[in-house]
Amino acid sequence: MTGRAVAATRTCCVWCPDWPVVAHRRRTPALVGVPVVVRERVGARDVVRAASAEARAEGVRRGMRRREAEARCPAAVVVDADPALEARAFEAVARAVERITPRVVLDRPGRCSFPTRGPSRYFGGDDALAARVRAGVSAVLGGAGDVRVGIADGVFAAALAARRDAVVPPGGSAAFLAPWPVAVLFGDDDGGGDGRAQLLVRLGLRTVGDVAALSRGAVVARFGAPGEGFHRLARGEDAGPPVLVTPPPDLVEHVVLDPPAARVDVAAFAAKGLADRLLARLSARGLACTRVVVEAETEHGERLARCWRHDGALTPAALAERVRWQLDGWLAAAGGPRGEGAEGVDDTTGGLTGLRLVPDEVVPAGGRQLGFWGGDQAARDRADRVLARVQGMLGPEAVVTAVVQGGRTPAEQVRWVPWGEPREPERPPAAGTPVPGGAEAPGWPGALPPPYPARVFVPPVAAQLLDAAGRPVTVGGRGEQSAAPATLRSAVLPGGGGPVRAWAGPWAHDVRWWDPRARRRRALWQVVVATAAAGDVACLVAVERGAAGVEALYD
Amino acid sequence: MAGAEGRGPAGAGPVVRDLAARVRPAVAAGARALRVTGPLAGLVPGGGIRRGATVAVDGPPGTGVTTAALALAAAATAAGEWAAVVDPPGTLGALAAAAAGVDLDRCAVVRHVPADRWPAVVAALLDGVALVAASVPPRLRPGDARRLVARARERAAVLVVTGPWPVEAAVRLHTEAGAWARTASGLLHARGLHARVEVHGTPAPVRLHAAAG
Repeated sequence: MTGRAVAATRTCCVWCPDWPVVAHRRRTPALVGVPVVVRERVGARDVVRAASAEARAEGVRRGMRRREAEARCPAAVVVDADPALEARAFEAVARAVERITPRVVLDRPGRCSFPTRGPSRYFGGDDALAARVRAGVSAVLGGAGDVRVGIADGVFAAALAARRDAVVPPGGSAAFLAPWPVAVLFGDDDGGGDGRAQLLVRLGLRTVGDVAALSRGAVVARFGAPGEGFHRLARGEDAGPPVLVTPPPDLVEHVVLDPPAARVDVAAFAAKGLADRLLARLSARGLACTRVVVEAETEHGERLARCWRHDGALTPAALAERVRWQLDGWLAAAGGPRGEGAEGVDDTTGGLTGLRLVPDEVVPAGGRQLGFWGGDQAARDRADRVLARVQGMLGPEAVVTAVVQGGRTPAEQVRWVPWGEPREPERPPAAGTPVPGGAEAPGWPGALPPPYPARVFVPPVAAQLLDAAGRPVTVGGRGEQSAAPATLRSAVLPGGGGPVRAWAGPWAHDVRWWDPRARRRRALWQVVVATAAAGDVACLVAVERGAAGVEALYD
Repeated sequence: MAGAEGRGPAGAGPVVRDLAARVRPAVAAGARALRVTGPLAGLVPGGGIRRGATVAVDGPPGTGVTTAALALAAAATAAGEWAAVVDPPGTLGALAAAAAGVDLDRCAVVRHVPADRWPAVVAALLDGVALVAASVPPRLRPGDARRLVARARERAAVLVVTGPWPVEAAVRLHTEAGAWARTASGLLHARGLHARVEVHGTPAPVRLHAAAG
């Protein structure tokens, strides 16, 4: 089997346009019929990930800044992107397609494909198959979204055929592709602005047909191995290199989960190690993986399997992300409200007892992109390995990394993220904080100025802040203090505290004043205490609801 | 360190000098040190921490123990290496770390470490990161501490311990209370970090008393 050449496989592609919007509409039916914009953060930018047809009619486009999208379509409901929700919702679609054919391959939430040879003959031709798939998926979506089905030779042509909702006759892929702009060879969806696409246009190659008309040798001479890849696509052949290697059977990675994992994060943590091991063993053999089957077994003996495909070789992060999405889909079906999946499809009934990753399609590794400094990559791998080991010893939440975000107090301005998870702030970072890219964010009124305390207590340690007469210091409705602080006592200070030598403040915070249930009022002072044991010690004291506490220590 | 200077090749004959030049390692130990910047640069002997060394920082709470440890961690991330902070109570202030120059992307914080697992966790971290800053749990056994010093030396990783360290260390920093003052705008600011430094390995510990910052 090794080294066989593959002709373009006749493929059916099922595409749900604007899937992020559809996923949100399935969860929140109130969003059906109103313009919806799904936003995501890309670096420091807040951009549109997807927009509903109503919003697009007003001029909202993917990749546009959120502010501009809101200006063009003020009526739009803006929701946060949630990849886990998208993957979970797409599981229902995948199951609907799976009732027609067992060989479903997921490209990403919103698009899946399968080879048509068997099902097409069974259901009486490509058109009948397409109609059947369309009906099955539409029933699941129930008006929340649109579905398009395309059939053509090759995965790439089928994906484009799905955009037109067309069935391309056998052998007609090259002719079907010819009029498309070259950008589709590189872009996933809109094919926006890829540098290579612009280069081809500058060279006078405007359509896919222009590229296909060139000789392969000429393209490879100019663009190297990537050139061969897009030239194959342009001619309607499969993107993959012509040589596929049969996956060696002993490369299957599995792990037994005892006790069974009922929570996604527990299973995903195990899956991350599994993904790393699988790819490490593949790369030791000079192989890269482009398609992987995620298999799981539940405590009631059910076996679940789903195949994920990736354009180009899977990286450990991309593989772990896909496995996490898949686990999300399975476990949410078990724990969440029934009916989120399709009717008549069995949901998962228990925790997962085992996980397997099976490389379904491997290709010779075409060289890995290392960091500019090779040693840097080696150091990162070494650090990742030991930190994963410590996570194994103490639990995934024990190893964390800090993300600076907006807020008023030192505790609010930091979000702790378990090591290995995406480092994203919950709130936009404030101006002036030591974080790159935060310069355009507005400041937080009342935020405490630097220096920043090196010890932050969450929750604050109980303390007594007294004035010269020995009464507790309080704050009035306008943020003015009842008297100057004179004594601070707390167990966290050396010697239990002492007289106040100097103070600054108070900073009065009225947190979430617009929400009567979450509203909090507090006042903070920077206080220098003269202690008998350690001399002058500076700390941050908060008074909330009449009780004082040490929030932080300048250590 | 300073004590070895009298016996260097400078005082030997030309043959020995020539030989010393030939066998000199391509990268001298000093060049592999982690360069410390900021207020601590003037306090640390040679301006840097040798890889494999143990640095003990102690002092009463509120005198800058954590800040000193963070300044050393910043030396590792500035060199493009990874650092880990072992913080059993989970009270580290990340903004202070960023202000001290630590690259938060490359700094992992290990929290909620039970006292009996502490030596195992620190030993595991020394295998993979260039610098481990750990606050010492109460009643640490000297045997465990000595094993960690050896582990750090073997892995060429810097171990920075804060709190009472029961065994020897290459450098000891004792922090002392600093002075605080009000600025014109009414805010408090630290006048500086005061520390006393002992360098191990010299016939008698050198004591520097310096204020920095």
